[in-house]
Amino acid sequence: MWHKISWRLLKHELRRGELTIMAAAVALAVCAVLSLSVFSERLQLGLMERSAEFLAADRVLRSRGAEIPTEWLERAEQEQVAWARRTTFNSMAFANDELALVDVKAVSDGYPLRGHLEVASEPFTEGVIAEGLPGPGEAWVQGSLFQQLNLALGDRLEVGESEFLVTKVLSSEPDSGFNVFADSPTVLIHYSELAGTGLIQPGSRVNYNYLFAGSASDLASFENWLVPQLDDVSQRWQNIQDGDSPLSAALERAERFMLLASLLGVVLAATAVAVAAQRYAQRNFDAVAVMKTLGGRKGQVARIFTLHLLLLTSVSILIGLLLGIALQASVVGWVSGALGYDLPNTGVGPYWLAIATGLLCALMFSLYPLLRLLNVPPLRVLRRDLDASGLSRWLHWGISGTTIFALMVLYSGSYLLSLALFAGGLLAMFLLLGISRLFIRASRTAGMQAGSSWRLAMAGLQRRARENSMQMLSFSVAVMLFLLVLALRNELLEDWRGQLPDDAPNFFVVNVASQQAEPMQAMFAREGLSATELYPIIPGRLTAINGTPVRDAVSKEERDDSEFREGFGRELQLTWQADLPAENVLREGQWFAPGESGVSVESQVADRIGVGLGDELTFRIAADEFTVPVTSIRDVDWNTMQPNFYMVFSPNLIENMPATYIASFYLPDDRRPELYSLFREFPQASLIDVEDILAQVRDVISHVSLAITFVMVLVIGAGGLVLVAQVQATLEERQQELVILRTLGARSSLLTRAVTYEFVMLGALAGLIATIAMELSIYVLQTQVFNMAPSLHWRFWVLGPLLGATIVAALGWSVCWRLLRQQTGNLIRQLA
Amino acid sequence: MALIEARSVSRNVATTAGKLQILSPLSLAIDAGEVVAIVGASGSGKSTLLSLLAGLDLPSTGDVIVDNVSLGDLDEEQRAILRGEKIGFIFQSFLLIQSLSALENVMLPAELAGSRNPEKQARELLEKVGLGERLTHYPNQLSGGEQQRVAIARAFIGEPQILFADEPTGNLDTETGSRIEELLFELNREFGTTLVIVTHDDSLAQRCDRVLRIAGGKLVEQGANTEAGAEEKSSAKGNLATGSKEATTDVA
Ligand SMILES: Nc1ncnc2c1ncn2[C@@H]1O[C@H](COP(=O)(O)OP(=O)(O)OP(=O)(O)O)[C@@H](O)[C@H]1O
Ligand SMILES: [Mg+2]
Repeated sequence: MWHKISWRLLKHELRRGELTIMAAAVALAVCAVLSLSVFSERLQLGLMERSAEFLAADRVLRSRGAEIPTEWLERAEQEQVAWARRTTFNSMAFANDELALVDVKAVSDGYPLRGHLEVASEPFTEGVIAEGLPGPGEAWVQGSLFQQLNLALGDRLEVGESEFLVTKVLSSEPDSGFNVFADSPTVLIHYSELAGTGLIQPGSRVNYNYLFAGSASDLASFENWLVPQLDDVSQRWQNIQDGDSPLSAALERAERFMLLASLLGVVLAATAVAVAAQRYAQRNFDAVAVMKTLGGRKGQVARIFTLHLLLLTSVSILIGLLLGIALQASVVGWVSGALGYDLPNTGVGPYWLAIATGLLCALMFSLYPLLRLLNVPPLRVLRRDLDASGLSRWLHWGISGTTIFALMVLYSGSYLLSLALFAGGLLAMFLLLGISRLFIRASRTAGMQAGSSWRLAMAGLQRRARENSMQMLSFSVAVMLFLLVLALRNELLEDWRGQLPDDAPNFFVVNVASQQAEPMQAMFAREGLSATELYPIIPGRLTAINGTPVRDAVSKEERDDSEFREGFGRELQLTWQADLPAENVLREGQWFAPGESGVSVESQVADRIGVGLGDELTFRIAADEFTVPVTSIRDVDWNTMQPNFYMVFSPNLIENMPATYIASFYLPDDRRPELYSLFREFPQASLIDVEDILAQVRDVISHVSLAITFVMVLVIGAGGLVLVAQVQATLEERQQELVILRTLGARSSLLTRAVTYEFVMLGALAGLIATIAMELSIYVLQTQVFNMAPSLHWRFWVLGPLLGATIVAALGWSVCWRLLRQQTGNLIRQLA
Repeated sequence: MALIEARSVSRNVATTAGKLQILSPLSLAIDAGEVVAIVGASGSGKSTLLSLLAGLDLPSTGDVIVDNVSLGDLDEEQRAILRGEKIGFIFQSFLLIQSLSALENVMLPAELAGSRNPEKQARELLEKVGLGERLTHYPNQLSGGEQQRVAIARAFIGEPQILFADEPTGNLDTETGSRIEELLFELNREFGTTLVIVTHDDSLAQRCDRVLRIAGGKLVEQGANTEAGAEEKSSAKGNLATGSKEATTDVA
């Protein structure tokens, strides 16, 4: 019998819109979680796939100097992991009686496992995706070698003991990377041709790379088996997030942003549920009292309202799921369209997550109001002011806190992050609560001199200072999270845009002879090309730190490993500069004073090899060895398209050593045909085209920008809902007072104005508080989570209060207007 | 044998100013079928007394016995069941559930009591109070008098032995009020229900078998009416008032 009552109550309440906010909040939470998790998962898979293209694989095992045991590759096959070889080494190549240093790259079938090779029939022109690999006796050659050796398609190229027919221009390799120094032009041949060159000899410096690709789980199990067996000196395991990819930083930030923003969205939706549930319970106080008076037992009443709530929740979850599916599909469609490829599909995980979120939100946040509701004494039918007593507020806070925490863990999958956010949130809440009380108290005097509507409004604020500070809290939290997400989004986008402006250098020129450095600079100026400085490059090795020799893969001496310090194990590109290179930031120490001798070390490298200010580094350049102190540590942004160096020397030390020069410059697309003629006077210089890499990075970033914009819209929706729920609740609570004032003859315009002013003040204060809180949180987030430079957001100091005042007042006005539009008599009857 | 008996019940409440006695110890008995009015100035304690007699609240001292059951021995659940079985209510502010239609409101107590098919009975009752055409209307679509009639139908659906009414006509105009009164007495005659009515309306009090007058939380008078209303009443039901036989002097 009782289930009929639940159903009837629900039916009518739904029809009258009494439960809309609650249902909307639950539906929004479900919809947000579903669309966000499906979308971000699909996006992430898509990004992974795309980023994997930077490695040409999902994982790469790099081995220096020696092949890996074949059983490792057999194991990969057993684990359903695809593999391919990529063996690279430097060699000289001859053609047309000319000689050039090239990067021979011998690859086996299947390469590239991710991404594509592109080939063209003319150097420096747009390529098309290549089918397969170079055939027997064939080589595909990068554009700059054509320039250096005066090559044409069909020419013969000698490498070692073999002769190859140049059949295609290699215009793009997925794994070309950013290492412009190593990049002598690539000569791509098939792995089976490698032995024939006779260039692989004991002791020759060959990099054996093994590419792997497969499903995440297969890869993980292979990885677990393999990685413990690596020697970590000559063998290195690499995946996309390892920081070598220019995208990894952007990806990581985007991921964190999405996670954070969606967490905030869920918390906001949960808050809306909580506010609405409170109202829901209050509205049913009378019904419970009447039922109890008429003989309803507590258990019965509990069943009626629990079922009622469950029905409501199910309906809302269903709506949320449908909306989420639709939203997610259209966003994915839109993003795929913008990106020009399909995003991969996900499993059912997000659906369960969404349903669980809906249930948790609806049931846990209504638990306390429901318990209160069930505790309403029947005597309320005679003493109307009675409501449930004896239930501690702590129970409420306890349940809400636990639920929010559970949601955070459920959503982020990380206790640590959840705990940090939760603790931060708690702290922020107490702070906000304190500040809002302070503000309300301070506003007391301000209102006394105002006109009648204002005075009424101020009185309203004062009388309900306690409830108002709770309201203010939820207004502030909503506005703050809203501002936070908006500001963070802008910061991220700007940061990325700053790194890769439209005129970011898209060519590197290397191997510039010293006597040509000045003519080249002059050429850049004459042609109006924006170029970086020309940096000298002197190859050298780090041989000792504070007198202790460093381990070096090519050193032939047999010595006990423990006597060495960690070094680079390879040749370094050294440079000297009188001034700190652009976009480098000094972290420690001072830049060289004129005449001072020293070396400035890049910060990550300094950490890795364990050197600090004052340490003495010994370098060998050609036959000379010399020792210099570390005088500064620099931060370098490796994502910028400019020559970057680990070691920068003071000029006096190596100025006179033979050097070649390097620079990067931007060549607009329409001027590409001029490239040949521009560089005709510098035949030895090599050009490296990084436009493809730039395009890939831009593409991924535009992706991620879309994604975070979408997340932001959802968070704004959730925040708006909190505001609506809170305003509605506030005004319903005050309906009685409004009606009385109205009955006493207050004109509705006066009342509406008073309410609107009150909400203007509430909203503006909330906006101000929110802005302060936002600046604090964004500072913490920027410095601790996103590794960005902190910044102030002056615009938001205006925007925050303005936004708060406008939205809250508009909502207040509309709800109040709707209330007062009804006949007073009608209102009184409703209140009975 | 009295149907309701109060044995030196009192009610104190704790206030910031200390303990406040809102009802001084009093004893009374109400017989089955009797119609009793509780009158007194506003704030004198009428509703408090009613809540104690109906088991909505427990006395600070003393005990209330309803149909041989001591309410003090029951817990809140058992009292709810007892109310469901034996007691009906009508309130000044009607207290219909806003989300249920007239018919559903009337059916509610029967459904709570587990009755299988209360709809027929509920329809009949609504017919009887003249709302046969308004079954599917919601409380906010009904006038005050109509809402009160729904409340009366709701009160009678469980065929209660006792009906408590707290100022049932207080929110209504005189004419509607007297229609409601008529209805109450008619149902009392038909079902033999004991009526306990709190009222400010003298003419209503006149028609009752007995008037309990309360002043400042004290029972100052519990005499039988000797006037026409009472006679009409007793002849209708044959149940004679058992209160003290002192002459009542009604105050206007
Ligand atoms: N919980 C309580 N706390 C403080 N005072 C109370 C409480 N309950 C009742 N009172 C006081 O006890 C007195 C009697 O209340 P009661 O509601 O019984 O009056 P009443 O006779 O029904 O009045 P009315 O005719 O206005 O309805 C009132 O003065 C009331 O303020
Ligand atoms: Mg009363």
